[in-house]
Amino acid sequence: MDLLIINGVVYDPINSVNGERMDIAVHNGKIVGHVNDSEAKVIDASNMLIMSGGVDIHSHIAGPKVNAGRLLRPEDHVNDFEVKGPFIRSGVGGSVPSTFTTGYRYARMGYTTVMEPATPPIKTRHTHDELNDTPIIDKACYILFGNNWFVLEYLKDNRVEDCAEYVSWILDALKGYAVKVVNPGGVEAWGWGENVRGIDDVVPNFGITPREIIRGLCKVNTLLGLPHSVHLHTNNLGRPGNYQTTLDTMRCVEDLADVDPILHITHCQFSSFKGDDWTNLTSAAPEISDYVNKHSHVTLDMGQIIFTETTTMTADGPHEYMIHGISGNKWVNLDIEAETGGGVVPYTYKPKSYVNATQWTIGLELALMIDDPWKIMLSTDHPNAGPFVEYPSIMSWLISKYARQKSLEKVNKKTLRRSHLSDLDRELSLSELIVMTRCSPSKALGLDKKGHLGVGADADIAIFDIDPMRVDTSKEYLKYDRAFRRAAYTIKDGIVVARNGEITTRHTGKTLWIKSGFPQEAFGSLINELRERFERYYTIQLDNYPIDESCLTNSKPVFTQSSLWS
Amino acid sequence: MTFNVTNDIACPFCGCLCDDLKVIISDGKIVDVKNACIYGLTKFLNYSLERSVTPVVQGDNGKVEVDLETAVDKSARILIDAKYPLLYGWSCTSCEAQRVGLELAEEIGGVIDNTTSVCHGPSIEALQEIGESTCTLGEVKSRADLIIYWGSNPLQSHMRHLSRYTIGTEGRFRKTRDDRTMVVIDVRNTYSARVADYFYQIEPNSDYELMSALRVALRDQEIEQDEVAGLKKDEIYDLADMMISCDFGIVFFGLGLTMSLGANRNVDAALSLIRDLNKRTKFLIMPMRGHFNVAGADVVFTWQTGYPFAVDFSRGYPRYNPGDTSAVDILLRGESDASLIVASDPVATFPVEASKRLLSNPLICIDPHRSLTAKAATVAIPSNFVGIECTGTAYRMDTIPLPLKKVIEPPEGCLSDVQLLEMILRRVRELKG
Amino acid sequence: MMVQVKITAKKTLILPVDAEVITPDAIDSLSLSKVESLYVWEGNRRRPLGELFDVEFIDSDEDDALTLWVRGDLKSVRRIGSHMSFGRILIDGDVGMYLGENMKGGMIQVKGNAGSWLGSDMNAGLIEVLGDAGDFVGAPPRGLTRGMSGGRIHVKGSVGNECGCWMDDGVIIVDGDLGLFGGIHMRGGVILTRGNTLSRIGAGMVNGKVVVLGNVPSILPSFTFEEIRKSTRVGNDRVEGPFYMFSGDLAEDGKGRLYIAISENNHLHFIEKYLEVK
Repeated sequence: MDLLIINGVVYDPINSVNGERMDIAVHNGKIVGHVNDSEAKVIDASNMLIMSGGVDIHSHIAGPKVNAGRLLRPEDHVNDFEVKGPFIRSGVGGSVPSTFTTGYRYARMGYTTVMEPATPPIKTRHTHDELNDTPIIDKACYILFGNNWFVLEYLKDNRVEDCAEYVSWILDALKGYAVKVVNPGGVEAWGWGENVRGIDDVVPNFGITPREIIRGLCKVNTLLGLPHSVHLHTNNLGRPGNYQTTLDTMRCVEDLADVDPILHITHCQFSSFKGDDWTNLTSAAPEISDYVNKHSHVTLDMGQIIFTETTTMTADGPHEYMIHGISGNKWVNLDIEAETGGGVVPYTYKPKSYVNATQWTIGLELALMIDDPWKIMLSTDHPNAGPFVEYPSIMSWLISKYARQKSLEKVNKKTLRRSHLSDLDRELSLSELIVMTRCSPSKALGLDKKGHLGVGADADIAIFDIDPMRVDTSKEYLKYDRAFRRAAYTIKDGIVVARNGEITTRHTGKTLWIKSGFPQEAFGSLINELRERFERYYTIQLDNYPIDESCLTNSKPVFTQSSLWS
Repeated sequence: MTFNVTNDIACPFCGCLCDDLKVIISDGKIVDVKNACIYGLTKFLNYSLERSVTPVVQGDNGKVEVDLETAVDKSARILIDAKYPLLYGWSCTSCEAQRVGLELAEEIGGVIDNTTSVCHGPSIEALQEIGESTCTLGEVKSRADLIIYWGSNPLQSHMRHLSRYTIGTEGRFRKTRDDRTMVVIDVRNTYSARVADYFYQIEPNSDYELMSALRVALRDQEIEQDEVAGLKKDEIYDLADMMISCDFGIVFFGLGLTMSLGANRNVDAALSLIRDLNKRTKFLIMPMRGHFNVAGADVVFTWQTGYPFAVDFSRGYPRYNPGDTSAVDILLRGESDASLIVASDPVATFPVEASKRLLSNPLICIDPHRSLTAKAATVAIPSNFVGIECTGTAYRMDTIPLPLKKVIEPPEGCLSDVQLLEMILRRVRELKG
Repeated sequence: MMVQVKITAKKTLILPVDAEVITPDAIDSLSLSKVESLYVWEGNRRRPLGELFDVEFIDSDEDDALTLWVRGDLKSVRRIGSHMSFGRILIDGDVGMYLGENMKGGMIQVKGNAGSWLGSDMNAGLIEVLGDAGDFVGAPPRGLTRGMSGGRIHVKGSVGNECGCWMDDGVIIVDGDLGLFGGIHMRGGVILTRGNTLSRIGAGMVNGKVVVLGNVPSILPSFTFEEIRKSTRVGNDRVEGPFYMFSGDLAEDGKGRLYIAISENNHLHFIEKYLEVK
């Protein structure tokens, strides 16, 4: 059925629409110029705010480590559950919701595309099974490469083009969307209980440095013409003084960049620590922002802290061990043969904790000190810095200094004294907020049909019951907070899927993945070359490693152009 | 005679999920299997013995063969009428079937439980309090120089475990047998103990005490008892030293821990010991999962419901508490009033009182075999063999997912667990209106 | 003058019944018909309370807070007293699991046996069981590593395994025997048993105190003998020994204490050799 959304106040930064009353027409799951009124379902969006559906560039929602988090925390599910309904499967929430609940909760907030940012290749079949069971939203997964033995060996020998072929094959065979790098070299060292401390440390047994891994994979990414840049979780994440590593990391690929960004530093809050230890930890947001303001080859996402009990989970095994040591909380470790690692530790962020409060200020400082909202996206690295259902809190803090002040009153006093946040008056406009939550992630991911409401876009639309013409974002931020938690309408592929917090239909989104353009013969010789090493490194057969496209409930391959095969 | 060889077959028997089997078929029959252990070989050659191909319903005058539609209808009615139905089994079928099972349990407001409940359930209960430092089996192959089997006898339970994953395999960093040390800790001198470099025979039901003593030794403190668990103090210090001074150690543990005095607390102590060891060196632990897809059942249950087994949907949302919502406990308290058993034989394996309880209420059994449960069932529906006659996904003991393949056609009319469960679910929904 | 409410099971209940509405908090100030229409669960069927139980209001001269008398075959009835914060529940006979879970105040008395997870995650209040209780007395829900944080549980009979699991504070008194792993992972509070205990007492404790007046088959090797003590405090009372006092669990770098009655434990006398010669 066609849709005609009338009279809403539309914000569509990509198409230069900044709070205009206009109608939006939907036909066959796409936005079109017009539809026949008499045959369309009309949605009266008078005095309501309309934007495209949210795009989450980094959220741990599916796969082995997420599931390890669910398993670890039955106590986190007990008091937060969803009862089976006419259109919903039952499930549990907490900081690591079950798969059905994840899809519904994103949809209720007006989010329509979510990226699972870290899947170990050999267990990616698991990740896709969970994504298949995550309803409504479009999704994809990033595949971990930064500690992969084949990648390390190729790059050590400077075989960049061969590495590119391997990466292309992996993305195609395992249905991945992007190249993810986590603590490059450090997680391989963790296979022995070690780590790396800087981008020029040599990875034990592999004779390569993180710098070389990052540069090599950036070159690979460019060669393959992948839609997203290399998505990187820095070395030394979460350690006082690590901002220097972050700056080194961004600098080390400056020369490789062309027009588009070449590197995405994810959850940058965790990588922006100044100081020598936990007692003199301070924010390096000024230094990081300054660099980002002057360069165009990197993008970031925030990794904003929410003061709540949550669960940390990353492929950064040694980092999770450190969190376990600091907090004393239960710890799961998951090392993966020849590829990567991971860990899960529950954690509570407290406003009175000097360190946690400082972390909280860092995420917001980054967002406010980086001038261009296209360069920094909203995220909590869900659930690491906080659950995704709390995004509206972050939105409030970004659009209103009053909202920030209210929270600042509750934080540790030493943090307050040392932080820059209370001096920052900047308040993001709605347009800027929409850029950070829709437009910029879509662009960074190469999703040109998402993040906007122009003709031809996917009809992924969020309508909020708040009139931006009358409600002031700065002073009345609470109203926006409330509105953003429960979209009046969430439309996915042209279908109303949520209405005022109720899921109104069953819907399955698409799983996006990169289809390799490599000719099959080229893959043939790659596989022959791989086979011997594969048998030595792994404990499964090479032929059982790839995932058939039929394993994806709703597969959407994405094609790319590469100089390697054109 | 023509022979067809299918390569890279994953063996649907135990948690090793060896996927390098070659199945040889001639004239529509499996005639040989290469690379399998005796269990795998036997399964592939003999799976068809003692199998049913026709649904059977227990009527007033004894058993009657019926058509599938009748069996499905009767099953659906039993499940709808039930006020606390139990759906049990799941470990010997595919993840795809487990997913349908979960949907069915939710639809009828029942309790769905898998064999973890009577096997490594205690391991998971402990993990949920302590955590777990673990890895995939290839990490062991590549790096491990100390391998400890505790309360586990792999040479009889997981026959290719040693040759594929531990002491019998060549790894990137461990080229020869001499590069590795194998230790067995057990209450009796098993086959595995006989090939170990060190065997510690301990008193039954004393594993917890031994782990406590080891944790004291790890802290460089004195053990104040001369003997613990039947071992002398010095032996315990030696074992602790061996663990501290390795580069990469791993403990594989089995029912010797989960089913002896202490159960979940034995595993709690083991997980804590390994966690403590990580302060000194790299150390990991892994449960030796039994059935070929019990790990998969836990994984699927967890992603859909948040809980790994013993999931109670009676109030319309998932709840979990082993001891309350677990199959044997529900049966012993006489609480369930109907059951659906899939890919398992609890009538044969459960405690007698629990089996009696199962039999005193309507029982639907979906199984290819003429198992005890199938023979005693109110409705017995034959299915086909996952990994032989139909495809599916299964998870290895280290939760690596693998595709199970179809190598041979099932008998005419014999459907897969997935198809049968979908039919029952559809019929349940039709009847509920 | 206070109202008392008599709630009597109409029949033998076999299916599990979740009755978290049977608390003073849920029933307070409601009319009789409103109480009868509160929902309970019987298996997967939701039913009004009045369908499974006869409910009567009785005027009482006593000035006590709201009292619920619950009677009948209640072995399958769970969660009575859940989250209650005031008033009294008097149960005549045996009762099912999770009695008084998350209790915040008030008092529950059981003239019979209680099921497992008695007083799970209790914060305050008093629970008294005249018969036995099951496993996991005071224990928190799965995965939570802090348990009972206050209140007092007194079981006149014996209890099962893992009594006081992850206990944070409060007092548990058992006149009869303790099962396995009494005081497992204790973080504070006191457990006293006047009877015997099975093995592994205090396993994993980091703080808190377990007092055993009866027999202990063995002490874990991760506990160290400190000294002999004449008596020890349990709540507001002093309990007479003499006791062997152990500290541990060293495996957790724990500073918990075990007080083991000397007279009932001859087999432990050998440890006196570790006493410092004064």
